[in-house]
Amino acid sequence: MAEIVFDRVQKTYPGGVTAVTDLSLAIAEGEFMVLVGPSGCGKTTALRMVAGLEEITDGNISIGGVVVNNVLPKDRDIAMVFQNYALYPQMSVGQNMGFALKVRNVPKAEIDRRVREAAEILRLTEYLDRRPKALSGGQRQRVAMGRAIVREPQAFLMDEPLSNLDAQLRVEMRTEITRIQRLLGVATIYVTHDQTEAMTMGDRVAVMRGGLLQQVATPQDLYDHPVNEFVAGFIGSPPMNLIVAGLRERDGSLVLSFGNQEVTLPASYRSSHTLGPAVGARVVFGVRPEDLQLATGDDHVRLDATVDLREALGSEKLAYLSFGDDAGIVENEAAAEDGPRRRRSRVVARLGARADVHEGQRVTLGLNAAHLHFFDVDSGASLRDGAHEARS
Amino acid sequence: MSTVVAPSTMRVTSARRRTVTRAAIFVAMVIMAIVMLYPFFVMLIDSFKTENQYLAGHGTSTQSWHQLTTTMPVYQQLLNSTIVCTASIAIILVVGVMAGFAFAKLQYRFGNLVFLGMVSAMMVPLQAILIPEYVNVAKFGLTNGYLGAVLVYAALGTPFAIFLFTTYFRRVPDELIEAGICDGLGYWGVLWRLALPMALPAIATVTVLQFIQIWDDLLVGLLFLQNPAERPITVGLAALAAGRTTSIPQLMAGSLVSALPAMIVYLGFQRFLVRGLTLGIDR
Repeated sequence: MAEIVFDRVQKTYPGGVTAVTDLSLAIAEGEFMVLVGPSGCGKTTALRMVAGLEEITDGNISIGGVVVNNVLPKDRDIAMVFQNYALYPQMSVGQNMGFALKVRNVPKAEIDRRVREAAEILRLTEYLDRRPKALSGGQRQRVAMGRAIVREPQAFLMDEPLSNLDAQLRVEMRTEITRIQRLLGVATIYVTHDQTEAMTMGDRVAVMRGGLLQQVATPQDLYDHPVNEFVAGFIGSPPMNLIVAGLRERDGSLVLSFGNQEVTLPASYRSSHTLGPAVGARVVFGVRPEDLQLATGDDHVRLDATVDLREALGSEKLAYLSFGDDAGIVENEAAAEDGPRRRRSRVVARLGARADVHEGQRVTLGLNAAHLHFFDVDSGASLRDGAHEARS
Repeated sequence: MSTVVAPSTMRVTSARRRTVTRAAIFVAMVIMAIVMLYPFFVMLIDSFKTENQYLAGHGTSTQSWHQLTTTMPVYQQLLNSTIVCTASIAIILVVGVMAGFAFAKLQYRFGNLVFLGMVSAMMVPLQAILIPEYVNVAKFGLTNGYLGAVLVYAALGTPFAIFLFTTYFRRVPDELIEAGICDGLGYWGVLWRLALPMALPAIATVTVLQFIQIWDDLLVGLLFLQNPAERPITVGLAALAAGRTTSIPQLMAGSLVSALPAMIVYLGFQRFLVRGLTLGIDR
C-alpha cells in the first residue's frame, strides 16, 4: 500500500497534442480517487502514466515515495483493470488470476492460496476452471478484479471497468468494487466519464477537462461548491441550471434579472461571494434542479415558467421549463462533450413524485435562494470567496 | 380478385422450398466430391496393377508397389522432403511470428512502409527470380546440401506468413498486451507466453499451406537439390516419369505416396485452417 503523487505532470504526444497539463494530485494510502471528465480530458492518459504504459513528458510521478518515471511497468507493483477486462482467452479463470504471480516465480502453493482467497472475496470459486469466454460480462469483470487483487499490489488502477456492463449490473458492481477496495485498503485510481460512478464510489473526485485538473474534492463538496461553471455543469444529473443574468443594486439589495424575471438575493451573498465587480454588469448564476420547486406560500423568490416537457421517473418528476424569454440561459458546456457551448439546455426542476405538472402548464416556482451559485461571465470561475483555494 | 393464403400454408411452402434447396446443394457437393476424388481413386486402383494388367484394364497386383521401393530410394526421398519442409516451415514460422508481432504491435518509423514492401514480395512469382536466386545460392556453394533449398523456400513463404501473422496480431487487443506488461512480462514474454498461444490457428494455417506448397514443389528441388542423395520425392517421381520405360502403375504408386503426407497434414489441421483463413472477416 502506498501513496501516489503526481507532481506537475505533463504529457505531450509526438504530434504536439498535449493530453495532460501540469497535473499535481496526491492520492493517499488506501484512498479511492476517481478521475472524471468528458472524453479526451486526459484522465486515462494520467492513469496510464502511473501504470508506466505512457511516458511522462515532464514532472514526476511517485508511488510510495519513489519516483517511477523511469521504472518499467512490471517493477511498479501496480495492478490495472482494463475497460474490456483484457483476460487471457487461452487461460482458465484461475490461471488468469494467478498469471502475474507465476511470472514472478511465486511458489505454486502460494499462488493457489491467493487465487482461492481472491475467488472467495469475488464469489468466483465455482468458476475457477472455466475459460473467460464461458463467463458473463459481470463475471469477467470480477475476474479482472481478481487478477488485480491476487497481486496484493501497492495500488489499483481502474480504467472505466464498468462501462461495458448493462445498467443494472453496473450498479451492482459499483458497490462490489467499493466494498473490495475498502476491504483491502489499497490506494486506487478509478477513471470514469460517468459522474454517478464518481459521486458514489470516490473518497475524493478529481474533475478534469482538456488535460487540466479543474477541482479535487469529496463528492459532496464538489456538488455543493463547484469551483467553476464546468464542474457545476458536469457534476449532478440533471446538471445545474446556469443562467446569465444582469446584476444590479436596488434599495440596498442585490437583484438578478433575466428575461422578465427578477430575483432579490439574500444579503448573505454579499459576504460569501465577490459580487461587487459584477454589479451593473452580468453574471452567471447557477441553481440545482432540486432547488426549484412548485411555489408554496412561504417562498420569497418566485419565478413564473411554462413546462415544456415533463419526465416522470417514478421517484421524482423532472420538469423542463422556459421563462417565455429564453434569453440568458447558458448552453451547458459540460453536457457537450464534443466541444464547449454547443448544446442549449433548458432550465430543469426536480420535483416530487406527486407533483401535479403537465406539458404546456404555467407554473410558479419557488427558488431556494440559499443555495445559489455565481460564476464570472467570462472566465466561468466561481465568485464564492475562497473557491480558488479549494481547487485542489 | 386476390387470394388470401393462410399463414400455415405459407410456412409449409417455405419449409418445402428450404428442403429442396438443401437437397440441391447436397447433390452439387456430392458431384464436386466425385470430380475431386476420382483422380485419387484412379491412382489407387492403377497402382495395384502390373503394366500388362493396366493395359488390359483388369486384374490386381502389388508388383508396382514392390518395384517402387526397389527401383528408387523412395524412403530416403520422403525423408529428404520431410527435412526440407520442416526446416523451411520452422524458419517461416519463427520469422513470420516475430515480424508479424512487430508490425502489428510495435510502433516505429516507416513500419507500414516496410510492411507494404514485405507483403508486396508475395506478388513476385518464383519464375521471375529463379535465375538470380540460383546464381546467389550457387555462389555461396549451397546447391549441394539442403540449406540452399530451405533458404529459398523460406524466402518464398515468409511474406505470406508475415502478412497472416500481422493480420492476426492486429486483432489481439492492445489492452491484452498491456495487461501482460502490467503482470510483469516484457515484449518477449508477451510474444511467447500470450500472443503465441493465441496465434495457434494462424500457425496451423501457415504450416498447412506451406507444407502443401513445399512438399508438392518440383522446380526448387530440381534446381537447388542437385545431390541425388538429397532429392525430394517430387524430383524422384519426375525422374521416374522421365525414364525411357515409364511404368504407369509404379508412377501412380509413387504419386500416391507423395500425395499422402500433404493430405494427412491438411486433414489434421483442417479445423484450424478454416479459422485461420477467415481471419479478419469477423472483425
